[in-house]
Amino acid sequence: MRALTDEEMKTVLDKLANYMSDLKSLIAPLEDGDRYVFRLNHSRVYYVKLSIANLATSISRDALLSLGTCLGKLTKTGKFRLHITALPILSQGARHKIWIKENGAQPFLYGSNVVKAHVGRWSEDCPEHQGCVVYSMADIPLGFGVTARSTTEARRLDPTGVVCFRQADCGEYLRDEDTLFAG
Amino acid sequence: MAPTRTIKNKHAAGSKSSSSSSGPKRSSSSGVKKPSGGKGAPKGKIPSKEQKSKPNFGQDRKKKPRVYTEKELGIPELNMITPVGVTKPKGKKKGKVFVDDRESMSTILAIVQAEKEGQIESKLIKARQMEEIREARKAEAEKKEQERKAKLDETKELMRKKRKRGDGEKTKKEDEEEDKIVKEAVLRGTKAGRTKKKSVSFAAE
Repeated sequence: MRALTDEEMKTVLDKLANYMSDLKSLIAPLEDGDRYVFRLNHSRVYYVKLSIANLATSISRDALLSLGTCLGKLTKTGKFRLHITALPILSQGARHKIWIKENGAQPFLYGSNVVKAHVGRWSEDCPEHQGCVVYSMADIPLGFGVTARSTTEARRLDPTGVVCFRQADCGEYLRDEDTLFAG
Repeated sequence: MAPTRTIKNKHAAGSKSSSSSSGPKRSSSSGVKKPSGGKGAPKGKIPSKEQKSKPNFGQDRKKKPRVYTEKELGIPELNMITPVGVTKPKGKKKGKVFVDDRESMSTILAIVQAEKEGQIESKLIKARQMEEIREARKAEAEKKEQERKAKLDETKELMRKKRKRGDGEKTKKEDEEEDKIVKEAVLRGTKAGRTKKKSVSFAAE
């Protein structure tokens, strides 16, 4: 386990900034004097309290399965891929949001894109190909994706047209159970 | 002739003198004699040579053989084994530089956020401009459509008026002519699919 390098940190934050508007809250000091840090283990990036990260140094790298919140994985090409496990953090400071109706929740959780007919409401002034967090109508985060059309264009779209391309959904906890935390 | 000779001689003498003067210096600075002199003195194996080198012994120890740096040698940079860009600075520490303190993290964060904000802003502006262009095109197309429709209506009206006016004045001859035109058009319509057979005629000689 180690801290992130300059470039790694930049790529991670760059990806997070697609979905979140306020990144500064991520590293803001906590009331007890502690703060959150980013740690890398087996090419996975974890968002963890510094005190816990310091405790985890006593565990060997091979034996350490996970700590804190797994944000995603750094690929061999140097890019960063967000996992569904990062959803609680993304939903806290989401830049753009899409709420889907009940009839659209299941198709989304089974891995399909969001179509216009399933959209209950969406945040205004959302450009094309911008990260957004998908919520149910009861404000429960279900996953995240990338907008297929801008809000104005999406209004003119037919009901079967795709509004948001899925990136990750909560169904992955079951579907990708084997590979989500290791491998 | 005489002065030139003297100059030549002078140079010769100078060079000789310099060479002679540098000769002993080189010998003194070169490290070849140093070990032999140093080792030979205590052992006393070659006494005749040892006596000659004795006065320079102290100076030899102090002076080290000079090591020339690459810059001093003046070798062109491109003519080296390692390319110019590949060479790493010597004084720097090897390995990764981690970002763990809050200050450096927040600076990176601020840079990234500013970049993203700019990108999103430009995207929005672009989208708005495109939307405006689309709206303008749509309005233009609608206007054109309306104009065309108006023109068509106008011609229709004109035709109707003409027919009404012409009904009373038509003579028998005009009627026949009209019928003929209609018949021709019908015939042409039925034969439209068929093509005329090509015929070949030879000119009479």
